Amino acid sequence: METKTAAGRVLLDCRGISKSYTGPQVLDEVDFSVDRGEIHALVGENGAGKSTLIKIVTGVTDRDSGEIVFAGTAIPRSHSKKAAQELGIAVIYQELSLIPGMTVAQNIYLTKEPRFRALRLIDIRRMNADAQALIDRYGFPLKATDRIDRLSIAQRQTVEILKALSDRASLMIMDEPTSSLTSAEATRLFDIIRKLKAEGISVLYISHRMEEVFDLSDRVTVLRDGRKVATLEKGKINPAEIIRLMIGRDLSESDRGHRMTRKAGEVVLDVRSLSSPGLFRDISFELHRGEILGFGGLVGSGRTELVRAIYGIDGYDSGSVRYLGKDYRPSVRAAIAGGIGFVPEERRLQGILAPISVARNIGVANLDVLTTAGMVSGRRELEFAKRGIALMNVKPDLPDMPVGSLSGGNQQKVVLGKWLIRALKLLIIDEPTVGIDIGAKEEIYAHIEHLAAQGVAVILVSSDLPELTRLADRIIVLRKGRIIKEFDEGVVSEEDVLLASSGIVEGERR
Amino acid sequence: MNVAKLKAALRLPAVLVALMAVLTIVSPRFLTISNLSNVLWSVCVISILASGAIYAPITGGIDLSIGSIAALTGIFADILMNRAGVNWLLAIAATIALGAFIGLFNGFITTRFKVNAFIVTMAAKTYLYGIAMVISQGGMKSILKPAQFLAIGGGRSFGLPNPIYIMLALIVISHILLTRSSFGRRAIAVGANEVAARLSGVDPDRTRMAAYSVSGATAAVGGIVLASLTQQSFAGAASGIELDVLTALVVGGTSLLGGSGSVAGAFIGAVMVAFIGNGLNLLNVPAPYHPTATGIVILLALIFNMGIAPRRRGAAGGKHLRRTS
Repeated sequence: METKTAAGRVLLDCRGISKSYTGPQVLDEVDFSVDRGEIHALVGENGAGKSTLIKIVTGVTDRDSGEIVFAGTAIPRSHSKKAAQELGIAVIYQELSLIPGMTVAQNIYLTKEPRFRALRLIDIRRMNADAQALIDRYGFPLKATDRIDRLSIAQRQTVEILKALSDRASLMIMDEPTSSLTSAEATRLFDIIRKLKAEGISVLYISHRMEEVFDLSDRVTVLRDGRKVATLEKGKINPAEIIRLMIGRDLSESDRGHRMTRKAGEVVLDVRSLSSPGLFRDISFELHRGEILGFGGLVGSGRTELVRAIYGIDGYDSGSVRYLGKDYRPSVRAAIAGGIGFVPEERRLQGILAPISVARNIGVANLDVLTTAGMVSGRRELEFAKRGIALMNVKPDLPDMPVGSLSGGNQQKVVLGKWLIRALKLLIIDEPTVGIDIGAKEEIYAHIEHLAAQGVAVILVSSDLPELTRLADRIIVLRKGRIIKEFDEGVVSEEDVLLASSGIVEGERR
Repeated sequence: MNVAKLKAALRLPAVLVALMAVLTIVSPRFLTISNLSNVLWSVCVISILASGAIYAPITGGIDLSIGSIAALTGIFADILMNRAGVNWLLAIAATIALGAFIGLFNGFITTRFKVNAFIVTMAAKTYLYGIAMVISQGGMKSILKPAQFLAIGGGRSFGLPNPIYIMLALIVISHILLTRSSFGRRAIAVGANEVAARLSGVDPDRTRMAAYSVSGATAAVGGIVLASLTQQSFAGAASGIELDVLTALVVGGTSLLGGSGSVAGAFIGAVMVAFIGNGLNLLNVPAPYHPTATGIVILLALIFNMGIAPRRRGAAGGKHLRRTS
């Protein structure tokens, strides 16, 4: 590849990037480049080295060796986040980094607020006007004076993009930007990305969602085990090919639609007219032994709130719950004692005890069985941990490793594993595979299906439509806190669920 | 991996040995039996308090009231025995129960009204001192009997002062509690990620209340040892000791953000805090310079101890997210 000058086609040029933290090589001689105005997808399983590569480019981490040239400027081996930002590299974070209590304008202009000449006080009026002008230029449905904590995740993301635009970024790095967006929001984001491209801004796009990658990207670079496997040009991009390159094995493509079946077995959970003001209303359903009941709907439709109430985290106002044929007052303690497991959404915030070891993470949920006379048996805890690790195929298989230092997929395996080693009767899982690579996803699916086959009842909340239609025996769709549709027979496609979620078809099908 | 762990575990003792080496070189009187036994008293009292106070920071809180609890319980024990005529053993039991109850109350206010523990225990420090002033009528009382009580702090068994045994017993108990008991697991879990702990079946409020009770109970034990040792009780008996204890904890590797801590580390921290004070005396540093010198030495010890340690990347990330949510 020939070297390009600042005016050339190549914006970011990385050559022979290597990095190891302690021990294994995380990146091994990776060559990689992004052109001006290009949408370039970076794919690979968790642990393939994508995050590390991004961290090196953005100055969060130093590289061990290799050259990086950005817009004609050689980037020193050890540079800072700030220096990268000044060069025009911006990251739109997966876990958002805005300040909730501040307005859109305050966040966009944080640390670079327009100031009055006298006294250097912030010129709030000008700041708001500038921000609004920027917003309007892209036609976002936002006001400069909106407070961040009142905005949806998708809106917050657009604020992040605006912030990068105001920094005159020429490369925007988006790490799993659609992971917590609805399909409609995601579509809007793709429009924005294409608009950025039209303005000559390059987008480096990291995603596990193959459809997006194929629709959007000009080129796709595949990483595996810290090595670059291939960079594929548009037109030569082939889903099956990329997946094969990523993981080195073939996965069947998701079918068009899946058959729903009504299970007849023993009723595990019987929910009647459950209501919680402003969150969900009049929810009734039965869940049978060995059944996977999917909850579809848009983010904010009340699914998470509903399952939290059933698990006993938040209360509800009216209605009743019967569990295993008996009246049941939900509480976390009763749930765990009664064989209910719960895998929350947002694994970093709610699922894992990041600084604590794998063994202890597993142990905490099993203290009831591990404790005699107030003392925890360290030996049995380790046994449990090893069982969980083996069952879930957690890598690396070190019980002493802090969970926070595992990859996302392995963190989720620990969260799931701590329940699976118990005698479960009901498992509630909320968005179990957000931000997880395909390999780990498949493993988690296999576990869920295996559990159901063993007679465990499963409640699955998911915004991932292929996941929902594939796993669920039955799907209930919530909209604005109410059941709008139940699919319990026939073949159901992703579109069916999506249409119901958006409130377009009410009782038309079937 | 294991080498790194071993290195991390040996860093603090190494700092301690370095400190002792420096003190030995600069003052020939440092490494003498008479001097070391002087230092011993403060080591004992600080360690006794730290053995229980460690649970507040581990759950992500703090307990600033332990000095006032120690003073108040010392006065309380004296009144029970010498004014109400209560048997000394019963009096001790009641005193420890009082300490635990005060701690429970701190924990209750913190969890029930969701008030920052710093503010709650700061307030407790002040009003408990006030109560101690009132019931002691602002005076200093000498405690002259019973002999069994005085033997707790002043007596010796098998050639060693009794407070050493009390301290060692509490350190061992606390270490086991922290590393082996279900309470310890819960406390660490709550400090590491309260939400995740709750979803795993841990009750964060009960865990916190238990943590502050333990803190109050050991403060009462400290108060008893101190009263018995000095044969005195007064409201200011242990004023400011909470800062020594906190210093010992932090120097010993306990995170004020919650989720991690070490009882053995706290003990070494207590020894260091005591040595620093002692060293300044031995070097004839004039009293007005002590606080400044102590502060600087503590900072150096902290930097030395933590600066070389690898940062917990994953952990820090999780924490950051939790705080901002």
